[in-house]
Amino acid sequence: MGSAIGGNHDKNNRAGHAALSASGGPLQHFIKTHKAPLSLILAMAVLFVIFGFLNPRFASVLNLQNVLFQISVPLIIVVGTTMVIQMGSIDLSVQGVMAASGMAWILLSPNTRLESDIGIWAWPVALGIGLGIGLVTGVMYAKLRVPSFVVSLGTLYVGLGIGILLYGNELLPTLTNDVLARWPTRLTLGLPNSFWLAAAIILAGVLVARYTRLGRGLLAIGNNESIARHSGLPVNRYKIAAFAIAGALSGLAGILATMQLGSGSPDIGLGQLFTVIPAAVIGGTALSGGEGGVMRSALGVVLLIVLNNGLVLAGVDPDYQSAVFGSILIVTIVAVAWPQRGRLKVAK
Amino acid sequence: MTDNSTHAASASNTPGTDKPPVFVRLFKAGSLNTLAPLLVFCAMVLVVGVLNANYLGPFGIYFVTASAAPILLVALGQAMVLNIGSIDLSNAAIGLVGTILIALTLPTLGVSSIFLILLVVTLIGAVNGAIVAYTQVPSFALTLGTLGILQTVALITSGSDTIYITENRELLSVLYETQLAFAPLTFWIGVLVAVIYWCILRFTILGQNMTAVGKNESGAIFSAIPVRRIKTLTYALSGFTAGLAALAILAQSGSASFSGLGSNLLLPGIAAALVGGTSISGGQTNPINVVFGALTVAFVPTAIQASGFGAEAQSLVYGIFIIIVVALTTTRSRDAVIK
Amino acid sequence: MTITSPTVLKLSTISRSFGAVKAIESVSLEIRRGEVVGLVGENGAGKSTLLKILAGIEQPDQGTIEINGKLVKFRGPQDALDAGIGVVHQEQSLFTNLTVAENIDTHNAGRTGASRYGFQDWARLNREATVVLDKIGVTLDPKARVGDLTFVDRQMVEIARAVRVDDTANITPLIILDEPTAVLEQAETAVLEREIRKLREFASVIFVSHRLDEILRICDRVLVMRSGKLVSDRRTGDITKQDLFDAMVDEPAHIETQPRSTAPFTGKAVVEVRALTRKGAYNDVSFAVRPGQIVALVGASGSGREALVRTIFGAETHTAGSIIIAGQPVSGWSIRRAVQAGLAYAPAERKVEGMIGGFSAARNIALVDPGKVATGPFLRLRRLSQMAQSWMTKLDVRPNDISRPLAQFSGGNQQKVVLAKWLHTAGLKVLLLDHPLRGLDVGAARTLNIQIKQAVENGAAAILIPDTIEEALEMADDIIVMRDGRVSARHDLRQNSHITLHDIVAEMV
Repeated sequence: MGSAIGGNHDKNNRAGHAALSASGGPLQHFIKTHKAPLSLILAMAVLFVIFGFLNPRFASVLNLQNVLFQISVPLIIVVGTTMVIQMGSIDLSVQGVMAASGMAWILLSPNTRLESDIGIWAWPVALGIGLGIGLVTGVMYAKLRVPSFVVSLGTLYVGLGIGILLYGNELLPTLTNDVLARWPTRLTLGLPNSFWLAAAIILAGVLVARYTRLGRGLLAIGNNESIARHSGLPVNRYKIAAFAIAGALSGLAGILATMQLGSGSPDIGLGQLFTVIPAAVIGGTALSGGEGGVMRSALGVVLLIVLNNGLVLAGVDPDYQSAVFGSILIVTIVAVAWPQRGRLKVAK
Repeated sequence: MTDNSTHAASASNTPGTDKPPVFVRLFKAGSLNTLAPLLVFCAMVLVVGVLNANYLGPFGIYFVTASAAPILLVALGQAMVLNIGSIDLSNAAIGLVGTILIALTLPTLGVSSIFLILLVVTLIGAVNGAIVAYTQVPSFALTLGTLGILQTVALITSGSDTIYITENRELLSVLYETQLAFAPLTFWIGVLVAVIYWCILRFTILGQNMTAVGKNESGAIFSAIPVRRIKTLTYALSGFTAGLAALAILAQSGSASFSGLGSNLLLPGIAAALVGGTSISGGQTNPINVVFGALTVAFVPTAIQASGFGAEAQSLVYGIFIIIVVALTTTRSRDAVIK
Repeated sequence: MTITSPTVLKLSTISRSFGAVKAIESVSLEIRRGEVVGLVGENGAGKSTLLKILAGIEQPDQGTIEINGKLVKFRGPQDALDAGIGVVHQEQSLFTNLTVAENIDTHNAGRTGASRYGFQDWARLNREATVVLDKIGVTLDPKARVGDLTFVDRQMVEIARAVRVDDTANITPLIILDEPTAVLEQAETAVLEREIRKLREFASVIFVSHRLDEILRICDRVLVMRSGKLVSDRRTGDITKQDLFDAMVDEPAHIETQPRSTAPFTGKAVVEVRALTRKGAYNDVSFAVRPGQIVALVGASGSGREALVRTIFGAETHTAGSIIIAGQPVSGWSIRRAVQAGLAYAPAERKVEGMIGGFSAARNIALVDPGKVATGPFLRLRRLSQMAQSWMTKLDVRPNDISRPLAQFSGGNQQKVVLAKWLHTAGLKVLLLDHPLRGLDVGAARTLNIQIKQAVENGAAAILIPDTIEEALEMADDIIVMRDGRVSARHDLRQNSHITLHDIVAEMV
């Protein structure tokens, strides 16, 4: 309780200081307001130069297409993650939702188990599972007022459990439909279809954030939930909607990842959380809410995957990925929290 | 603070001069909360017993208490961290790293390996705590980051292989093979730690300060309680008990690997702490009850089997468990902003 | 504006009690269209309760509210907003991460205007915001992020938001400005004053301030509240500052000043501050307290006395000057060091900062200095209980149940336990008391004051932030008056006992 009060106070104070330094030319203003994305782009450029130097294969068209292929799944997830973090909550259920949706989708599509192919209907069912899990998380969080990290930890395992149950003890379900199996890698206008799908989701995410009451409402909740409630914003509805959308997007990511792999696995979403949360945070989406945006988080994803790809090409063991991303998460949150430390601040 | 926590406070944290007779205290408002974990466990045992009494024989008890031991140890550390109002998503991974490091060093170092690695995991916990305390970052985000790092550490140190303890195995396996009242020593170690933690919380200044931080950190700060030191210490305890969990795992399996026994203790650990009556919002835990929480959670696979489902349902049940328990026990106040 | 302008707001015999305390009693008033009405009164006179009722946050126990001649009932803040009442609070309630236009529109919550089917029509949103901003004569970019604006500009946004309501229906907005100038610099205040003059062309304004010069300059009429009642309602042309003091201050037949010894305090200063400054809070404050002395800091809102005391306790930081404890200037001052040096603090935010509500009364008392009831690191629960029991009895805490969670006690009894916690600590030297009697009934207040005096007689010193000047006159040996962060006057009550409430109020405002 105390933290909420103190937090708002801090935000206003900081804003006050920002006002003092707001003078300056339009260029300075642009730099000031776009500091996070600009520094990300700069960091990316540096990475490109270094990795291109270390391994010429890095800058090859083939590798860049590979990178685009790799980033599409986390790009889809990060849209939902960002919406949730923007309002100051967290969604840890990504891996579980991906498992449940991915497994449901492949079992209902043409696969080697040959039993329950329902064709195109596999999509709405699998997405519906993701949406449903997201709804459960959102309702538990908003209506029953349980902290979001623990509810979504629960739904993470519920989703995993659904995935494992569907998987059962039988043989591995593998896609038998070539069109579906090849779709993610096929190039359209020189870029893989996976990436186009992700780009469409990012665009939709940006539009929602900018042009809908929901998108603006989430920012308002993240900035100051009490004021949002007193202003008559439908806070609970927005919260549930954000988690439902995040769930559906994780579901979609699960389907795409399954398609990319060509077979079903309950571990399909393993490690994605370690990409999307650090990505959102280095993109400038504060864990306390109210700041950041979809596009910035997407840049964060690109940066992390490029980093990982470059490290692998430079000969670093892929096992280091979670440590690298984990360290980036820690360094970023510490860097954000450091100037805001206070002797009376309550950190949970 | 809110009503739920205050009831429990009157039941478990409060000294009184003239205590009413036991049976009166049992029926005071908070007492049901105190007894709930035991009752839940009994209900679970009853259901399994009705479904298939064979599971409750001496071997059944041995099996459940053995698998409860690592869950209990991880849960006790988690309960202490939850009690100060934070969370440690990395403590199961600390345990996993502990198993691998001990498995690697035990053959050459013998007993000193155990003490060395316990020291290392305690320090890892302390580093977590110090970062949370001194940089004031949200604990779930920090420990999520540490979790990522520890996963890599586990992968790299184990070389993604299963490490069998080739020599000195008996140093640990004795803990699993020695029975005391149908339960292996590993479980009794967990019980002993629970009793010690309970005593710390109830009878020491440190424990009082820990609970104060969890109930109202602002109030603790204004009462000159060394909040940062307490947070660091609590996370160190969490690391230490995760190390003990590593011992329990190695005693049972004799080997360590990234995906083997003990690689998936995070959720069972949190679930056991919560089923044991620990509040997710801080300031309330009873380590003795966490024992029942761990037993209940360890009983889940047995219960699933007894009810005729496959073992695959385990994650699902754990997940549902955690959601229901948290929904039932979260303390809510009208104006609080829940993140 | 003429006297025959239509009445916008009419309150008839409004009353509101909190427990036994009558916060406001039978207040009736009228506000006409285009009027700027000042509202003044001491702390605790009932101003804030009245404002809360107008804002729909509190509901009156009795009485009626009429808007434009129609009876209304506010069930929540939204109803008040719909009726055209906009409150600009001292603490701003804007979304700093959204644009000016969005903030102006928030109270409409998508029911009108720039939102259709959940979509945001930015062009329309900005256009409407510009109209409102033009109307109040402010040039602000509707697309600017509120967090990038200066404080006074943000206040303009709040005013714009309050004015915004009249677009939807043909109602006259009533803008309530609650101490808007308390944190403003002089130039900014001038901007605000210009703004208020503009507002009256289409709105009515209630202006709450502790600065009487300002009130007389800006307002057409001044309402004075005292002890929950409306005691004066006069046009500004007919009154002077002196008249306002007279109305504000309830001069009692005689103030119960205790017989004081006139001997100077000879002990060494236990706490001294020299030229202590924090930008925007307090400025160049110096004083000292000695054993046996009670110093009261009095001042209106914005005086900076609360921040000053919190700085002395190590809870906040200063930017210049020094804190001297027992003759030694300190650096790296913190709460823990302050407590080790024998300082104690009873905060105004008692429930959040002063106590652990979920802990029993006993554990709360033992919280700061458990060493007395412990052997090494181990608490002796029996000794703890006995110690707590004796304090509870001594301070007459009711119910006398040491194992009851402190949250379940009444405010007065909670405060007694908070005091017991500090009195229990070894080496107590200075009590810092921040609104110690806030929300307390008379009996609890008396017990508390007796205990404070006793502690001081036993050699402690005290720095008191009283709720009322009467409290200061009753308790203190010295009174330091603060205004806008600076010391405006000092009174040694032991040398000069003729000081009156009037004098002090005059130095505060």
